[in-house]
Amino acid sequence: MSRLRIHRRTMLRGMLGGTAVGVGLPLLELFLDPPYSARAECVAFPKRFGTWFWGNGVLPERFRPTGTGPGFELSEQLAPLAPMHERGKISVVSGLRVMTPNTVPHGSGPAGFLGGADMYSPDGNASSGTFPGPSIDQIMANAIGDQTLLPSLEIGVQRADGSISWRGRNAMNTIESSPIELFGTLFGAGFRAPGDTSGPDPRLGLRQSVLDVVNDQAGRLRPRLGLSDRARLDAHLDAIRSIETRIARLQENPPSFEACMLPTMPEADYPDVMGRPDMDARSDVMADLLAMALACDQTRIFTVMYSQPVNNVLYTDRSAGHHQLTHDEPGDQPEVNEIVQGIMGRLNRFLERLDAVAEGDETLLDHSTVLCTSDVSFGRTHSLDEYPVVLAGGGCGSFKMGIHHVSPGENICRLSYSLLQSMDVPVSTFGEGPAQTDVGISEIEET
Amino acid sequence: MLPGPGSLPRLTRSQYRHAITDLLGPAIVVPAALEPDIPIEGSVALGTTTLAVSARGVGLYERAAYAIAEQAMAEGPARDALVTCAPTGPGDAACAGEVLAPLARRAYRRTPSPEELEALVAVAVNAGATLGDFHDGLEYGIAAILMTPDFLYRPALGGAAPEGGALSQLELASRLAFFLWDTLPDDALLDHAEAGTLEGAGLEAEVDRMLADPRLAQGLRAFATDWLELDRLSNLSKDSTMFRAASAELGPDAREETLRFLEHHFLTEEVPYRDIFTSRTTFVNRRLASIYGVEAPAREGFGAVTLPEDGERIGLLGHASLLSLHAHATSTSPTLRGKFIRTTLLCTEIPPPPASVETTIPPPSVDATTLRDRLAAHRDSPACAACHTALDPIGLGLEQFDGIGALRTLDNGAPIDASGHLDDRPFTTGRQLAELVAEHPELVSCFVERVFRYATGSEPEGDDEGALHDANQRFVGGGTRYRALVRAIALSPSFRAVRAPHAEAR
Repeated sequence: MSRLRIHRRTMLRGMLGGTAVGVGLPLLELFLDPPYSARAECVAFPKRFGTWFWGNGVLPERFRPTGTGPGFELSEQLAPLAPMHERGKISVVSGLRVMTPNTVPHGSGPAGFLGGADMYSPDGNASSGTFPGPSIDQIMANAIGDQTLLPSLEIGVQRADGSISWRGRNAMNTIESSPIELFGTLFGAGFRAPGDTSGPDPRLGLRQSVLDVVNDQAGRLRPRLGLSDRARLDAHLDAIRSIETRIARLQENPPSFEACMLPTMPEADYPDVMGRPDMDARSDVMADLLAMALACDQTRIFTVMYSQPVNNVLYTDRSAGHHQLTHDEPGDQPEVNEIVQGIMGRLNRFLERLDAVAEGDETLLDHSTVLCTSDVSFGRTHSLDEYPVVLAGGGCGSFKMGIHHVSPGENICRLSYSLLQSMDVPVSTFGEGPAQTDVGISEIEET
Repeated sequence: MLPGPGSLPRLTRSQYRHAITDLLGPAIVVPAALEPDIPIEGSVALGTTTLAVSARGVGLYERAAYAIAEQAMAEGPARDALVTCAPTGPGDAACAGEVLAPLARRAYRRTPSPEELEALVAVAVNAGATLGDFHDGLEYGIAAILMTPDFLYRPALGGAAPEGGALSQLELASRLAFFLWDTLPDDALLDHAEAGTLEGAGLEAEVDRMLADPRLAQGLRAFATDWLELDRLSNLSKDSTMFRAASAELGPDAREETLRFLEHHFLTEEVPYRDIFTSRTTFVNRRLASIYGVEAPAREGFGAVTLPEDGERIGLLGHASLLSLHAHATSTSPTLRGKFIRTTLLCTEIPPPPASVETTIPPPSVDATTLRDRLAAHRDSPACAACHTALDPIGLGLEQFDGIGALRTLDNGAPIDASGHLDDRPFTTGRQLAELVAEHPELVSCFVERVFRYATGSEPEGDDEGALHDANQRFVGGGTRYRALVRAIALSPSFRAVRAPHAEAR
């Protein structure tokens, strides 16, 4: 298959060069529509967005690359991403800052960056609060999630009950961290790989009849509820609706994506080794399942929570848990440094898995934007300036890859805004108070 | 009197499991993968009334419903107990109705309307006809019951939401059953509610029947798990090179000890609440016995032991469960242990550490060998001192116990000094700390607050203070016995009514 990606700048250059004689005005207008600056199309393949998140931040001085623009060099902590850097498939954005208040250590960062405001709590005690509103992945899922079997997918490597994906206040997307359960969700009952001509499972229609009963029962209950409980019931019904969508799609013939196939079923369990979680094995198997879910277009929006905010994962060979070390390890924190490097190594491996899935002349990674970030900047002080941000894949040319962009003190919500635009989500502004913005970071957007 | 707001708690995982057992029999294996119980302000009960279920959670409910229904309809005595009629064919509506009607009544905790039942029967009959088998069809009817909000949520709305008001008798029956038993009301309780006899002397008699029922232990276990965050013991991370007795079984075993301990003291012996902090009786298996340095009471399983009269380990604070939970993976944490005593046992709010402060504890040195010495530096810094002076001097009293609760005499080679103070009352050992906690003036009223919050799924507010005060009086009047407290709360007007939810009230 030829390279089908259409780029606005390529088109304009072509037209101005006089070679695109046949292109009429309406098409030109389409490409010049002003708010569409970061948009690029993935032709013949879907465009995906994902967050790859780890907890407890970095050592900022050893995380920030040297040099700027295309010729930059990876830092000590980013060094494990060298294979991706050599392929020109990552960019680093330095200097960004969460503008909203830093009231909840490890909570205010993700809420401010991904949710646009500080943590929310009805009694003003933000320490026990929730995200202020939907995180950007869920804003995207609301806009485009109905096109796929699952509106979005939230998975984790560490077994954890926290999350950085929220549909709104008090509505957390819990994280699937069991490989076998994830396999069941993605490739269990009713799944057919492309080319499977067996016809839809008759039980799918029966499942739908059960959901009809559920909807009717909910309809009787709903008018009796107060506003907040009504919202909670509606969230339940939204989830029922997405099962219905999934059932309807499973009854159609499977879409034909070359790379889509039934992956190997994972082990029933990936047990701890000497009281330490087997993060490497867990990370790899989850990456494989996710890559296939994306290749089969089961979803276009994903969250990978490698480890949760404030996690105290006890890594192999480390003298204490991760969070404890970020606070208690003296000096220049060699153990924390190695942990961050280890995490970047896993990230590299994750990206390699996506990059190994061929889609036409390009790869699944090329057709995705992966936002890689954490809950704080410097773990020891919970600081929220110099926020760690790596972008990978570039989303079919939505973002410039292979560069280091530095923008000291810049509002991080401008990046959130760019990411929303890159997925064609029509928001006019993002963020509250000092974080509010109606512009993205044009320097990293392909124009 | 202003009761808690109208609410719609979602079943916790343990409530779901217990309900399935009650509905379909003890042989059913409920899938382990269910929406996690997420605490809000340290309380799962609050989480169940506040948080929306996730899409993943709803998907898991669907898969669980089919997995459970399939087991229930597998050929065997359990199915024969449910299906007492002889189906005339795959689409026998009458027989399907006979099976589904009583199931739906218990699952919904009310008699379903004819239309509701008709819809369930239609699903089962249609599925039976499609699949050519009556029982296969019935699976879909059962799955439908298990997926309805009527089963998964327990409305406590008062007769006339959104204004609030007295709970209907059926709502009250549900609230009582989940509070006291952690499961659905039984038929007797439902019958009372439907007959309108759950008030006055009738209500007292039902509550007393429930307090005498063995299922009260199930309810106590659920409360204690939420109160002491014992679910976290399932994912305990402890370095087995540092703590040689650490293993994957340690967390679950330690949880079982604490639950048996509370059952024994609260329900069997009915001791005053304060006594659980100074009791020398506990329950261990071989693994815990070796950590505690006592003789194992049995070759297999748990048995009672009496801890040494002059030993360091005493009462609830000597449990491996709490000592492990409030410690790190490779070390103890006087700060976390102090925070547990302050917040969970004494109900004092401690704010989170301010953002952007230097949090590093100095490394071991010649001047500061032990964690105690190193923590002292924390308290020299004004930014840290405000909270840490309220936490560390308490937690230091438990320094004789390592990160999984084994007794130790040295920290980093230097002798342990376990002295400290609780609200200016000094102690020198963990045993003395336990005695000070037992005597603390806030201890009893804090417990009342925690049980009340668990029972209603809401923070006490406004005139709830009156109800709390009243429950406190009755608890003290009843010799601070657990049953007396549960009874006082179950019969309090605040428990039996709701006010308008916040969004409408303000």
